[in-house]
Amino acid sequence: MSTTGVSIDVARQLRAICGEAHVVDDPEQLKSSWVFFSPYPTVGVWPGSAEEVAAVIKLANQDGLPIVPSAGSVPQILGHDKQPCMVMSTTRLTEVEHYDHADLTVGVGAGTTVAQLNAMVSADRLMFAGDPPAPGRCTIGGLLATAAQGPLRHGYGAVRDYCIGIRFVTGDGRRAKGGGRVVKNVAGYDLMKLLIGSYGTLAVITSASFKLFPAPGQTRTFLAEFRSAGEALRFRDSVIRSPLSPMCLELVSPGARKLMRPEMTDDAWVICIRAAGSDAVLARYRRELGSAVTRELEGEIESGMWRAIENFPLCPEEGRINEPFPPVRIQINVLPRDVFRVIESLERATWGDAIGVAFVGRVGVGHVLATAWPINSEVPWPPGVMVEELKKGVGDGASVKFEHASNPWPIQPPSLASMRAVKQALDPRNILRGREIF
Amino acid sequence: MRIPAVVDQLRKIAGRDAVLDRPEDLMLYEYDAGVRKCTPVAVVFPQTTAHVSEILRLASLSGFPVVARGAGTGLSGGAISPEGGVTLAFARMNRILEVDAENMRAVVQPGVVNQTLSDNVSHLGLYFAPDPSSQKACTIGGNVAENSGGPHTLMYGVTVNHVTGLTAVLPHGEVVHFGGKAAECSGYDLTGFFVGSEGTLGIVTEIMVKLLRRPERVATLLGIFETIDDGARTVAAITAAGITPAALEMLDGWTLRAVEAACHAGYPLDAGAVLLIELEGLAELVEEQAAAVREVCVQQKAREVRRAKDETERALLWKGRKNAFAALGRLAPSYYSQDGVVPRTRIPAVLHFIGGVAEKYGLCIGNIFHAGDGNLHPLILFDPRDPAQLKLVEAAGAEILERCVSMGGSITGEHGVGLEKRNLMPLLFTEEDLDVMLSLHNAFNAEGVLNPGKLFPTTRMCAETRGRTTNPVLAAEGM
Repeated sequence: MSTTGVSIDVARQLRAICGEAHVVDDPEQLKSSWVFFSPYPTVGVWPGSAEEVAAVIKLANQDGLPIVPSAGSVPQILGHDKQPCMVMSTTRLTEVEHYDHADLTVGVGAGTTVAQLNAMVSADRLMFAGDPPAPGRCTIGGLLATAAQGPLRHGYGAVRDYCIGIRFVTGDGRRAKGGGRVVKNVAGYDLMKLLIGSYGTLAVITSASFKLFPAPGQTRTFLAEFRSAGEALRFRDSVIRSPLSPMCLELVSPGARKLMRPEMTDDAWVICIRAAGSDAVLARYRRELGSAVTRELEGEIESGMWRAIENFPLCPEEGRINEPFPPVRIQINVLPRDVFRVIESLERATWGDAIGVAFVGRVGVGHVLATAWPINSEVPWPPGVMVEELKKGVGDGASVKFEHASNPWPIQPPSLASMRAVKQALDPRNILRGREIF
Repeated sequence: MRIPAVVDQLRKIAGRDAVLDRPEDLMLYEYDAGVRKCTPVAVVFPQTTAHVSEILRLASLSGFPVVARGAGTGLSGGAISPEGGVTLAFARMNRILEVDAENMRAVVQPGVVNQTLSDNVSHLGLYFAPDPSSQKACTIGGNVAENSGGPHTLMYGVTVNHVTGLTAVLPHGEVVHFGGKAAECSGYDLTGFFVGSEGTLGIVTEIMVKLLRRPERVATLLGIFETIDDGARTVAAITAAGITPAALEMLDGWTLRAVEAACHAGYPLDAGAVLLIELEGLAELVEEQAAAVREVCVQQKAREVRRAKDETERALLWKGRKNAFAALGRLAPSYYSQDGVVPRTRIPAVLHFIGGVAEKYGLCIGNIFHAGDGNLHPLILFDPRDPAQLKLVEAAGAEILERCVSMGGSITGEHGVGLEKRNLMPLLFTEEDLDVMLSLHNAFNAEGVLNPGKLFPTTRMCAETRGRTTNPVLAAEGM
């Protein structure tokens, strides 16, 4: 091993595969390239093709060198075992494999950012329905690996609903695919479902194909403010039971509101409803939503507000990601009825005012995105506290995911044995991240 | 174990009246709605997850293969027994276990008939969205195994988009629970992975599904065209206008005449093609979309666009569409239904190609399909009593599917691979793709107890699954 923890021979072979410019093993350079990582990796590689990804993974298998796949935008804690570790970035995989605008389908490399994809298709009045935080940095590969979602989750479904094909390299270096480029296809196993949300533990995603949607024409956003979460959720129920089918139905907690707009001092819970359609359709929304609506937004103010909600988890992370106890992002999925209990649990997890907690949620479908950060260094790091409170409030059945922890599933999934079998089939040497999971 | 001993054991597990082994009974289970046949050695009707678990444990120990069967309406041979196999028929596991109207969920056993679930929740204003044409007979367990679709999957997605959790039994009898009632789960999405795995990974015994709220308004339009080309071009034009109908179906002139003769649905007898277009949602939106669709149809040379005046007229139009396969039974002893998919802009080209194939092989091929998502169902008429005709029909079918793949499409959109298309899988997938799928198959079903001979090309199955050991991880966990 060299001083960096990776043998000179491995570094030489990585350079032979990816090119001199695309391998970094200098500690100082690694620090500047992977500022989001803790601890820093011992080598970073940027393969330029699926073939190079496969060659790197095969090499890592020979040397038993663990790999953390990354697009570089999401902070990741790599674990604390201090062993040599390679971070593989897919940001160079940006090829457009197909774009069939009349068929409403597109296939792009995993390194394409969500913003780049939307810029490409918006010229044809189409839309990609993924709206994760930081779309300018978040890549398609990262979006799929973490099953990240934003406010459009309410009206357009999760990424598992509109990803129609996926190409990847398994943990043992096999290049393969699932699905294809047509919107309906049941040939072979549904490997999209298996890899989406698998946090890079089974394979490195190299490209994917998606259904696109017609971009909405005019939109409006209706805001309704409430004094308590319970009142806000009762309003949500009335919207769900109505004939309306909004693009977005979002709950913003008072804490999240203050993070996004520090000048806001009141403790209102806000339900934001975004609707698209003609004047007649929007008039119907006004009638149905009635007097609960206190404001109606349009134009740049409207889109700015939705951008703020998409990017809300970034607020507490600014400048704090390298702290010993950085802020943590948590995705929670429950039945819509159980959202209230999630909120109660999150509020209990503040330990008085020792932990900062804020959240937004696609509460019509039972999804809550929370962020937590320590205010008082005397208290434990938030994740443990939050998991305990969520377990007490919602039970072991709640789906809880940590966005950038070494183990994304802090509550042990009930299907762990079957997950291990799948892991063994695709990554028998446990090369891809997963040492703290399995 | 000899067959009589197997039957005795099965009776001990499921009950004396829950096993069939007389040849005249078994004949009823030797086929599905496709063209292949094989008689099982026994049919057993489990009533609980524990029965399924015991049966699979027995199968693993004794070495007999098992295939699960819902209503036998599948079109790819998925429920056909392998040689020497036992069929698990789910007719007695047909209870709706829970309806959670507040969260719009239901928990059902696999033998629940698709339509029955919607009928049982209609008083709550809810329904189950996947709607295969056979929905009056097909079971939700079968829908899960094949990841079935239907006309309305254009807007709402196929079965996997509506399943949130499963209880399944693995080959050695282990009972596993994937997902739950919430939309997403912790860990890998094994629910999504198991849906559409055609009974080759585990046997599903409980299914948690999403229910949808009935739309405020539904508009059903019938676009009537002089030529099939005009109809086919309209499909892409509707999408290009930014409209996603709930359903967008096409029948060619030859098929609609056969359907009209059988169903009296009100289809025009002299048209070249019709499009059945359904729009759903908020009243204001549906009315605007109906006007826009009408305009697009007229621009694309529709001779007439009719709108169903009421629910009776709407039901009649759909009766014609959903009974179309049966209606063709009036014209020939049997038919072979294909399930290829193409990008929707390629529909005109692929229909021309199918016309050429019909001419080349001297066959009658009707087209009735889910045009909105490019999912074709060419129906090739033939007489199964003539083996030469069957060979011809299969060759014609393969040629059509090869063309679908070459246009960027797939060999199956909703019927599954099964026996019928397993040897066409290499058209879509490389050796390495299939190798990865086979590793996953072997992680759960290494000894091939569950539905052997399906989904994978015959060459790979023979060489790579027989005699494999159980996945070491599951084995280490006592599974």
